[in-house]
Amino acid sequence: MKKLYIFLGLSAIAFASCKPNIGPDKPKAGDADFSKYLAVGNSLTSGYADGSLSRSGQINSYPNILATQFAQVGGGSFNQPLLPGESGWPTAKYVLKSGTDCNGNVVLSPVPYNFVYALDTQGSAKSIAAQGPFNNVGVPGIRCIDYLVPGYAYLAAASNHGWAARFYANPIAETPLDEALRLNHSFFTCWLGANDVLGYALAGGAGAVPGPGSNTNDISDTAQFGHTYRIVIDSLVRHGQFVNKAKGMLINVPDVTSIPYFTTIGYNSLALRSGQADTLNALYAGNPEVHFTVGTNNAFVISEPTATNNRRQIKAGEYILLSAADSIKCAGWGTVKPIPAQYVLNAQEVANIETYTTYFNQIILNTAHYYNIGYVDMNAYLKRVQSGIAYDGITFSAQFVSGAAFSLDGIHLTPRGYAMVANYIIANINTMYNANIPMANVSSYDGIKFP
Amino acid sequence: MKKLFLTAVSVLLTTVMAMGAGYQLNLQGLRQLAMGGSGTAYAWDASTLFYNPAGLSSLNHIQASGSLLFLTPSVEYAESVGKYYTTSKSQTFTPINIYVGGPVRSGSPVAIGIGLYTPFGSGLNWGNSWTGRYVIEDIELRTYFLQPTISYKFNDVWSVGAGFVYAFGSLDMKQAVPVQNNLNNIDPQSELYGRATGIGFNAGIHIKPTKWLHIGLTYRSQVNMKTTGGSATFTDLPSSLASTFPNTTFSSTLPLPATASIGFAVKATQNLTLQFDVNFVGWQTLDSLRFNFAQNVNGADHISSPRNYRNRAAFRLGGNLKLGSGWAIMAGTAFDPTPAQATFISPDLPDADRILVTGGFTYKPAKKITLMAAIEYVTSNKINGNFDFAGFGGKYQTKALTTGIGMSYNF
Repeated sequence: MKKLYIFLGLSAIAFASCKPNIGPDKPKAGDADFSKYLAVGNSLTSGYADGSLSRSGQINSYPNILATQFAQVGGGSFNQPLLPGESGWPTAKYVLKSGTDCNGNVVLSPVPYNFVYALDTQGSAKSIAAQGPFNNVGVPGIRCIDYLVPGYAYLAAASNHGWAARFYANPIAETPLDEALRLNHSFFTCWLGANDVLGYALAGGAGAVPGPGSNTNDISDTAQFGHTYRIVIDSLVRHGQFVNKAKGMLINVPDVTSIPYFTTIGYNSLALRSGQADTLNALYAGNPEVHFTVGTNNAFVISEPTATNNRRQIKAGEYILLSAADSIKCAGWGTVKPIPAQYVLNAQEVANIETYTTYFNQIILNTAHYYNIGYVDMNAYLKRVQSGIAYDGITFSAQFVSGAAFSLDGIHLTPRGYAMVANYIIANINTMYNANIPMANVSSYDGIKFP
Repeated sequence: MKKLFLTAVSVLLTTVMAMGAGYQLNLQGLRQLAMGGSGTAYAWDASTLFYNPAGLSSLNHIQASGSLLFLTPSVEYAESVGKYYTTSKSQTFTPINIYVGGPVRSGSPVAIGIGLYTPFGSGLNWGNSWTGRYVIEDIELRTYFLQPTISYKFNDVWSVGAGFVYAFGSLDMKQAVPVQNNLNNIDPQSELYGRATGIGFNAGIHIKPTKWLHIGLTYRSQVNMKTTGGSATFTDLPSSLASTFPNTTFSSTLPLPATASIGFAVKATQNLTLQFDVNFVGWQTLDSLRFNFAQNVNGADHISSPRNYRNRAAFRLGGNLKLGSGWAIMAGTAFDPTPAQATFISPDLPDADRILVTGGFTYKPAKKITLMAAIEYVTSNKINGNFDFAGFGGKYQTKALTTGIGMSYNF
């Protein structure tokens, strides 16, 4: 009987130690101080999504996600110039809606969100500068070369809808850099430069290469970009709480041609039945650069001043803008009518974008090395997303809507997409500054919402 | 009587669980369980039907032997860095084993028998709000093997045995679907449920070169569990995606790997028997889990999740000490290494090398009856595992306590 007691005793001990006992590693800040984090950048930094800026977009901005993670390693509060409403301001953001298209098919498409719009956006234009200084000074539309322009918020009110003016302390006189330096930061991220090529791309290449800076459709001049960029980073490093040694991360310019706005309409995604191909071939008879066959792989017809009759078929490596989608479907663009040049990036325009993106990224990399601060190759990361990436059991890609990473404007990200961007920045911070900052939980943020 | 018994047992067999490396269970006999899961070389009781069918002809009588086990696995997940951690929902599983068999008449070299047991299984419930919900929420694999067996004893040294295996079971897998509804924040749910069957065999040899040494060799074949009419069900979908995720049927095959074993039993003294077993398990057969849909789901005719398991050998050591007045005690230990590689650690089976400590006792209150009890404590390494395929990783640890009671009766 004694043995039985021993047996029961051992069982009780085993029971007591039956619960696993593991825990996450303790986060650590490493060499950087995250108590006052400053985020400098453009629309991507502001939290712009679904074609507009809204309060929830700002709350799901990658800087705010970063600040949430920084809070576990001594990060302080993160003050953003939040809008009052959800509708998007000053234009309504997109939501997905089922509807009948011009061909009578039921399709899901992005439409403006107009729920109690006037009431929801009330007070959006009012200056909230008194609530500053702000940790997130991201302004939609801002270019690198705008960063030293005095009175930028006032001068650019037309192109950026007053997003800067509503929170800049002195919109008439100060430069965007002045506004950024008001925080007295301990750590910063800077994601500037995308709009120095994106404006040109969104205009279908209808801009100067490079231009003087007055027209946002131009690609920025490399010398002007470099000059501005170095002054901005020099100031961010020299000022703030740690004079001459503020730490930060420089994020490079994504390849704009890797985003759904340019990749959704495949250059050769025109499907034709036998009658249709014949009719179109008859229409373009005599044009050696246009030929259709029966099948699903026909290239669309585009406008091109140097081509026969100003029209030819688009080639691989050239892109059609997402904004042409409805007219392609319903107005005969790409078939009976050529797609206008401002909706197309031809090979030369794509080369211009790639060349200047490379120049700008070289400047960003050199600057990071010069100041011995972090560099984030977001260009490479977004290309990885484009080819498909699994995260927390979700498969992301650059597919419009179904890819879940890009929002309904095809340019900016979803909250889940911004969370992945934040995590990529964290991974780089951890390496650069010997930190161990936890990753954001991507699955706890929203993706695309379906009706 | 036998038939009635089996019917009763099949009603009791409601759930099954995860406890060996991979999804293999090693709970088919209480004495063997108490000795670290070893039992290839020696016929302890009718459960030798599973451990080595050759042992059946070594039994002195027709014997019925059965056991009921209580298994409470617990798996903890923690993100690598930060503050998030969670523990799988507490579940108690009650696998059961039943064997009847022995020499066809006293002194005959021919023995027959039948056994019903649960060699594979897995069950883990993380709930539907944890961070890995798009990878897995709840999974349960059940298998039951029904094995009619014949054994023949050539002489005092050599005996052989073989059984045919008819396997049946089910797989149930629940995941959240990563598409969101604009009306609420409820994740749509996917459930794959299928009943499966398969066939195989279990064969073995017993060699007793001397009185004090027994050697056993067995081969349990691979069993491919096939389902053709599984149901794929999707709920809480946004209405615009209802046709993208149609409720449909699926077919799938889950291989249950082959196991080859060698075992030694040494009678160290009159009362002490020591055992050592090595099991070679052909896990490599599981390179992926694949479900083929009858109708496309989200544009795909199948889903597949890679596993790339590697073959593994488990080592088991145990001893049995007779104490007199009908009592005996057992103890054992085992090392059961995981077939999963570090970049294929999925939360549906966060497998790691396991170490087992076991013990038990038997008591003979009457001539024909033996009562048995056993306990097994399993702990895995703390692992930092990643499932690259799904982009999900973290730390895992598995612990499990199993207790079992049973009885054998000599006719």
